Amino acid sequence: MSFKDVLMPFTAWKNLFIEPVTIKKPDQIQGASRYRGFHKNEVDVCIGCGTCEEICQNAAIDMMPVEGIETKDGDSGLRPMIDYGRCCWCALCVDICTTNSLTLSNSFKWNSTDPDDFRFIPGVDEKYWNNDKLGYVKADGYDLNPVERVEMGELHPEERDRSFVEMVTGYSREQAQKEADRCVECGICTATCPAHMGIPAYIKAVREDDMEEGLRILYETNPLPEICGRICTHKCETVCAINHKGDPLSIRWLKRYIADQVPSDKYKEILGTDKIEGNGKKVAIIGAGPAGLSAAHYLALMGYSVKIYETLKGPGGMVRYGIPEYRMPYDQIDKDIDYILSLGVEVQYNTKVGEDIQLEELGKDYDAVFSATGLHLGRSTGIEGSDHDKVYQSIELLRKVTLEEEIDVAEKIVVIGGGNVAMDITRTLARLQNKKYGKVNVLTTCLESEEAMPADEEEVIEAREEKAVIDPGWGPQKIEIEDGKIKGLHVNKCLAIFDEEGRFNPKFDNDNKKFFEADMIVESIGQGMDISYTEKIKDQLEFGARGRIIVDKKSFQSKLPWLFVGGDIIEGPDVIHGIANGHKAAVGIDTYLKDK
Amino acid sequence: MKELIERLGTKFPVNETVFQRDNLTFITTDKIHAIELITHLRDYEGFSHLVIITAVDWIEEGLFQLTYLLNNPKLKVDMGVRVMIDRKEATMTSSHHLWAAVATYQRELYEMFGIFFPGSPRIKEPFILEGWDGPPPYRRDFDTKKYAEDTYFPRPGRETHDPAEHMKEKMYPEGS
Amino acid sequence: MLKFENDRSKYPEKNADGTNIIDLESGKFLKIWQGPIHPGMTGNMSLELIIQGDEIMECKTHVGYLHRGFEKLMERRRFIQCFPICVRIAVPEPDFNEYCLAATIEELAGIEVPDAAEWMRTLLLEMARLQSYLAWIGGQAGAFGMGIIGQWTIWARDLVLDRFEEISGGRIYHMHMPPGGVRSLLPYGFEGRMKDTLDKVSQIMVDVERVMFNNSVFKKRSVGLGYIDPLWVEEYGITGPNARGAGIPKDVRKDYPYLKYGELDFEVSLGTDSDAFTRADVRRRDILTTIDLIRQIVERVPKNGEFMAEVPNVLHWKIPKGETYIRSECTRGEYGYYTVTDGSGYPRRINVRGPSYTHAIALMERMAINLNISDTAGVMSSLHTYPPEVER
Repeated sequence: MSFKDVLMPFTAWKNLFIEPVTIKKPDQIQGASRYRGFHKNEVDVCIGCGTCEEICQNAAIDMMPVEGIETKDGDSGLRPMIDYGRCCWCALCVDICTTNSLTLSNSFKWNSTDPDDFRFIPGVDEKYWNNDKLGYVKADGYDLNPVERVEMGELHPEERDRSFVEMVTGYSREQAQKEADRCVECGICTATCPAHMGIPAYIKAVREDDMEEGLRILYETNPLPEICGRICTHKCETVCAINHKGDPLSIRWLKRYIADQVPSDKYKEILGTDKIEGNGKKVAIIGAGPAGLSAAHYLALMGYSVKIYETLKGPGGMVRYGIPEYRMPYDQIDKDIDYILSLGVEVQYNTKVGEDIQLEELGKDYDAVFSATGLHLGRSTGIEGSDHDKVYQSIELLRKVTLEEEIDVAEKIVVIGGGNVAMDITRTLARLQNKKYGKVNVLTTCLESEEAMPADEEEVIEAREEKAVIDPGWGPQKIEIEDGKIKGLHVNKCLAIFDEEGRFNPKFDNDNKKFFEADMIVESIGQGMDISYTEKIKDQLEFGARGRIIVDKKSFQSKLPWLFVGGDIIEGPDVIHGIANGHKAAVGIDTYLKDK
Repeated sequence: MKELIERLGTKFPVNETVFQRDNLTFITTDKIHAIELITHLRDYEGFSHLVIITAVDWIEEGLFQLTYLLNNPKLKVDMGVRVMIDRKEATMTSSHHLWAAVATYQRELYEMFGIFFPGSPRIKEPFILEGWDGPPPYRRDFDTKKYAEDTYFPRPGRETHDPAEHMKEKMYPEGS
Repeated sequence: MLKFENDRSKYPEKNADGTNIIDLESGKFLKIWQGPIHPGMTGNMSLELIIQGDEIMECKTHVGYLHRGFEKLMERRRFIQCFPICVRIAVPEPDFNEYCLAATIEELAGIEVPDAAEWMRTLLLEMARLQSYLAWIGGQAGAFGMGIIGQWTIWARDLVLDRFEEISGGRIYHMHMPPGGVRSLLPYGFEGRMKDTLDKVSQIMVDVERVMFNNSVFKKRSVGLGYIDPLWVEEYGITGPNARGAGIPKDVRKDYPYLKYGELDFEVSLGTDSDAFTRADVRRRDILTTIDLIRQIVERVPKNGEFMAEVPNVLHWKIPKGETYIRSECTRGEYGYYTVTDGSGYPRRINVRGPSYTHAIALMERMAINLNISDTAGVMSSLHTYPPEVER
């Protein structure tokens, strides 16, 4: 110890002459621009998926219904309510938020004597920081949940453009588990799925590699998983929470993955349907399409003896006769259907109700009848020249291809239509042309512009990969015929499809014209139904818009108590609505017959 | 590290060797030889720094795993010695004579896991949980959530809704 | 009733097993409790002291006033959910918890952390060291009656916390190192503000050196106080400045270079006298090293690029069965996480090695004997103990 040690401390006196560092007005301190303060939520963007609640490690978040926010497809109508008695401002809820709507403001000062004030719904309840610009947001460059979809393997265009081999290869186990891992289990998809499938539950089964459980979950609501796993219109994927900041889950491919993994001889054992006790009642089903098969499946499980009457020589309806094999291989259709038939469901093929057998007879012979006859009539554009015999209906051609009948394949073909069926026929014809002529010359045109085309985007992309030309946005005017032979199609630029009142009334730009050369024209602008078999009981039924039979929305029961109607002629058209209708009708029939 | 394990193997039962990193190895030995092995490591192999002693409850197998993590400050390598002991009769030979800090670890293990170390100083004195008369709380079968729910009360007025259930109720109450 | 006997020999009689026979009725001994809420105590722990006169005959430390069972709580939470919880184990420097937890999870899950994230982590750890040391100086000086030092350094610490707030959005619990990387890179203009802060802190350190370390009062009270025998280092598992003060160069940053420490240029500060003054001086030089390290790191932190590895969906992140131990050098010594996973979505066991575990219990109980009561606070401060990491 030295003299220095005694003197040195006195240097502290210099602080007498230094400006104090104390902040005089602490209420004016601003949080840093990344400060984690009170929550903000853009309620219009938020979809109420509840992922914030799920990740909160201290259970500070509750999902609460909010007045004025409607529960609808893709939005649960719930919004997060934060309990600041538990919140630790870790901002994991912000990082995981599927819509990036939840953020933290940089405000942190707020007093209240009422503890309940510190429980509120950010963005809904008025708070002074709701318009704060600064605060914590998830930085770009990372995600706590992978937003990119696991790519599905496809055959290369050159490998597939002349064969009808299935083009989508399906997920491997690793891929499926990786894809299933992205699910946040919010369950928003379930409400939108017409069949309300337990989607998060079967995705969980994929994750846990429990295919048996997965199959059981699938069959609870959908007896055609192989079919749906390939060609479902996957409305679930459009509302998927992950869709907001990345690619939606491949829900459809995961469903297919489960069904693909289980061999058909294991189905009965897994699903516990070895023995079904009959209840002695009989139900007739008209049409062996998805709706009819779905109803047959659930009725059979309930113990009804079910018989299906089918016009064509095989089961599957539009799935088999409308969808080309490269999308929906026949052996996979058979896998689903054979299982349903193995439950004791009978099918009588080549029998057209209304011609070979009358509906009223069925009504008498059976306790109930479910009619799901589908849309099998093509619609014509009705333009000049459309009655030429080289003008075909897509739906008829597709049916013939399936039946392995010879069809006319010209060298230059124009397809009119922009839906999935139009793409199906375009790609089918392209394959056939390739086989026959070694080159493709198909042009598809439709009224809708590229963005508004009803066909799935990937269908259009794949059709182009297969060298078909898609030229949308043109309205067909006239088919040019010279010497009895088709020369081509005159089209005008389409400006608008619907008028101000929303009715179908296309407007054309008559100065912007085109001529598509063709030897053959295929119309694919939608299908119509044939319900002439109801002719004799017409007055006992009620009909709605476009001649649809009016049915009860829950049970699909028509005004005639024994007649239930469903499938494409009621809702849709698509497979999953048909399946859902069939299931509901089966429950409806069961309720009706139990009460009877 | 490999040589060391081989060397140890000639003297003690060593099984399940896991080379976690270049400088971290886990070995499993049996209860009877564990303390001898640890003493050997300390006195002959230079593992003089005791990093931690802790237990892992493998309730499904009915075992406690005791981990003695030792460090060799010269070679800068670590060795985790794992000892599996029976969960029902959770007793282990005390090693308080090896390091002065061990007694504290053993006191904690007795309190938190109920693993008894006969002869360890002040083993039965409460360490953290003064006045606690429940079961050893770090055992897997002690449910902290249930304890909290039974002991404390939830904040009144809190409720939550499951999005999927809520949507079902609003959009298709009749069921699928 | 107190009785004053003639026998005033200093030490209590011993039992056969070596424990003291303390007869409080004899009037010779008095039992006093220091803490758990006591200005001289480092956090909420208490010393049960048997004194004779003002000299301590026997000391028992009591912890448990903070016990929230974090290790157990983490067993019930998903891996990502452990990340906001673990920071609370050591309030003054949560970043070491974040780093160790993240590193164990990354090792067990086989995740490679991007380069930028490693730099960011190194920066955050050094900043945490700096602000924790600054808070400690206040405690050490305060224990010897010099309140003013604490006021200076707490202000300096607040400046460092401002920089933390800029990076992570939090002042105390930064929660910036989730498993996989960091949550963001440096904000715009950070380098300049950090440099400014470091200049101010350096200035404060000059003042501290003058007023605290060249102070006859401080020297008189701390030199020779709380001697740690170098032989005890192994026996008690002493690490960090407490070991370095005894001349044993134990520093995880040098011995087991983690993150970017291998690429940085720094010396481990050592002392020889192993008393409270030496340890304080080792820590003071550590602060200077840290300031220098931060300057080096800020220059080299990548300004852009990937900062987070791709992690699976954290909501159901399962990690294969395994166990590992990761250590880092915190202000008090070796801070480590021993994490055991069992293949499920939750950790099977996480054990935290806080350096204070041995410093505050076994070592303190030994060092307290023969101390003057008024020096206990100073000795505890010089061991730099934090009760939360003892109880976890």
